[in-house]
Amino acid sequence: MIRLEGLTVDAGDFTLTDVTFDVPAGGYGLVIGPTGSGKTTLLESIAGHTRPRAGRVLLDDRDASGLPPEARGVGFVYQQYHLFPHLTVAENIGYGLRREGPAARRARVEALAAMLGIGDLLGRSVHRLSGGEQQRAAIARALAPRPRVLLLDEPFAALDPSTRRALRRELRALHARGGTTTRQGTHDFDEALRLGERVAVLADGRVAQAGTPEEVFRHPNSAFVARFIGAGNVIAGRVRWLGAPPADGESAAATFDAGAFVLEVVAERDGPAHAVLRPEDLTLSRLVPEGSARNHVRATVAVLERTGPVTLVHLDAGRPLVASLTTASVDALGLAPGVPVVATAKATAVLLV
Amino acid sequence: MPNTNAPDSARHGPRRLAGRILVAGLSALLVLFVAGPLLRLLLAARPASLAAALGDPEVRASIALTVATAGAATALALIGGVPLAWLLARRRFRGRRVVEALLDLPVVVPHPVAGIALLLFLGRESAVGGALARAGLEVVNHVPGIVAAMLFVSVPLLVSAAREAFAAVDPRLERVARTLGDGPATVFRRVTLPLAGRSILAGAVLAWARSVSEFGAVVVLTYNPKVGSILTFDRFTTGGLAAAVPVAVLLLGVALAVTAVARLLVRDRAP
Repeated sequence: MIRLEGLTVDAGDFTLTDVTFDVPAGGYGLVIGPTGSGKTTLLESIAGHTRPRAGRVLLDDRDASGLPPEARGVGFVYQQYHLFPHLTVAENIGYGLRREGPAARRARVEALAAMLGIGDLLGRSVHRLSGGEQQRAAIARALAPRPRVLLLDEPFAALDPSTRRALRRELRALHARGGTTTRQGTHDFDEALRLGERVAVLADGRVAQAGTPEEVFRHPNSAFVARFIGAGNVIAGRVRWLGAPPADGESAAATFDAGAFVLEVVAERDGPAHAVLRPEDLTLSRLVPEGSARNHVRATVAVLERTGPVTLVHLDAGRPLVASLTTASVDALGLAPGVPVVATAKATAVLLV
Repeated sequence: MPNTNAPDSARHGPRRLAGRILVAGLSALLVLFVAGPLLRLLLAARPASLAAALGDPEVRASIALTVATAGAATALALIGGVPLAWLLARRRFRGRRVVEALLDLPVVVPHPVAGIALLLFLGRESAVGGALARAGLEVVNHVPGIVAAMLFVSVPLLVSAAREAFAAVDPRLERVARTLGDGPATVFRRVTLPLAGRSILAGAVLAWARSVSEFGAVVVLTYNPKVGSILTFDRFTTGGLAAAVPVAVLLLGVALAVTAVARLLVRDRAP
């Protein structure tokens, strides 16, 4: 279990402010955020490399705030792996097994290497490994002393997509087998959805939002989070009540004026806001459909981005919009660049942040 | 020399060619200026006079003294200089800049000036020198004076080499090692030192060579017993070139041999 309570850390010219987040025992948590948002500093603080100015780090219900890194039982994998250049692959993996006998150490190193598919590279110098192999060696090295907590700093950033997918699967499997609590920094929300049980979005050293990936994805609490996780359409505009303003904490029907078009929405506050419209909540038709959905936006197809069974349709509606359709319906509608369409969203599908 | 063959010069034109000749010519002149005197010195030594010098107990004692005192100065420089270099490379503390500037001074002051400063600091009349003498350590006019002078002028070379070496070790490697269960001292021994060691040794070789070549500071502190540079000067002033050359050649030979061996050792440790 990892629990951060109001963690505030000064790291040179960078500050982490009041970070609160937890990953349950055996869970898999992710910290995501743009470059420079403090992911590495946060992970290093959990590992004990920085002294917090305020707040606490709890590892398995034990206050670890005052413990040095070697007493925390934490495994760490940096984005650039940081294998020891003066040691072989086997010596790297076995580095943390100093207190075990040579036979036990050897057995553990060989078992981990075999599990990660680098069993035949053990005698090599780390200079002669590919990116994916270095990555595996670094994960094996971190897992060797059986840490209670595994911290991964953007471990997949430098890998090609297929290696990335393969390692992601392995890590998930390792994780399920080992029961280690894992915390990973990433800037890739896809990764968060695939791997994470808890996710925290970091911005400028603060937690902008934390929760399950599903919660964060469905209900981003700010335009920053929505844009960062790639929720599709994040539109700046202004909310105006259709009738009387609602009571505090209630919501009421309103319009959202985006300049180029106006949407009907359900809102709790009026004034300037961002509307988040997920690509899968936009439907497209060639004619204005009849029925209850009244948020019809006239647009022109700009680009079709085919990715197998799903196609992203980029629209020009006076401002860019993106809709996600099955490739079959794109073909049935006869969509092509330049074709005029009507984009429709239900009022309740428009999230205001 | 860089080649200046025809197709090349045709491609680059006459101005480029003139530039190359200028660079090559100036470089050659400087190399000749350094190599010439050393070669001339080696050629000046007659085998018979070299053999005589080798058989001269004073010469042999002087060379042994030079090698040993330079070795002692280098050892002391390593003992104090490596921790200092680590601090300068890894810690931001008040006065770091002052310490760095201070360490540059022995390189800039004329060496007899350094010797006089050391004499004032370590002489029997000074507080430090008096205390040392009462503790049984005579510095001025004794062997420790030689070591002190050598240490003073050579330690900046070692500290700056070691500081660069430590700065080149990525702190994240040390952090990873900490999470793998090692305390700071163990990480230093298992990660930092192996990675920085080669450059530190190269700095130590440089400091040793600097110590062997020191004259100005040593001559002020301890004229007798004579290290090689002082013996050479002494023979020159009393017996002229003929007396000085064999000693000078032997000294040159020892310095070349030791630094060459050390350089080979350092290179062999490369991955």
